[in-house]
Amino acid sequence: MEMTAKLEETAHEIEERVRPQIREAKRRIAAFNEEAIEFIKANPGKCLLGALAAGYIIGKIASR
Amino acid sequence: MESQHSDPTGGGQDNGRARTLGERVERVGDTAQEAWTRTREAFDDIKGTLDIQGRVDRHPYGTVAAAVGIGYVLGGGLFSPLTARILGLGLRIGLRLAAIPVLRDELFGFAEALGDRRAAGGEEGGARGGAQGTTQAKANKERQP
Repeated sequence: MEMTAKLEETAHEIEERVRPQIREAKRRIAAFNEEAIEFIKANPGKCLLGALAAGYIIGKIASR
Repeated sequence: MESQHSDPTGGGQDNGRARTLGERVERVGDTAQEAWTRTREAFDDIKGTLDIQGRVDRHPYGTVAAAVGIGYVLGGGLFSPLTARILGLGLRIGLRLAAIPVLRDELFGFAEALGDRRAAGGEEGGARGGAQGTTQAKANKERQP
């Protein structure tokens, strides 16, 4: 019983420690996503040409 | 051009050549400008037809992914082992995703049928047990003096 209680306590501690980090990571990913979408919308030509070039290079490498 | 026409020093042939050259240059310039304008118009037409800006606004990641795919095909990667691997993986994942609900339904059906059968068996057993109990009780009563 003591062992279980200890394990539960440790799990709670870890959760409490990790939760803010996960929240921060989520926030960062969401911000990055927003920035990426804004950038793509602001520069569609650049992004599409870059993507086309990247795909072309990947295709060239894959076909070898 | 006007100064060349009103050159008082003579040299009509030179003036003529210069004028011809000037005209040619001008014509080339005009043609180039016209070609550029037409190209720009054609590009604008294509842009309007494809509605790139609208597509990017609606699906930014999808448009970029489509561009990567077009580039990949143009790069000759369509008939490559990498494509086969990607397609195989996608097919496997798709089949699994499609098969999981079917398997789940089958398992639930099987479990329900098993539960029903057990319940029916239990009821029958109980009834049988009850009947046996009554006969035994009767027998015991008969044995008792």
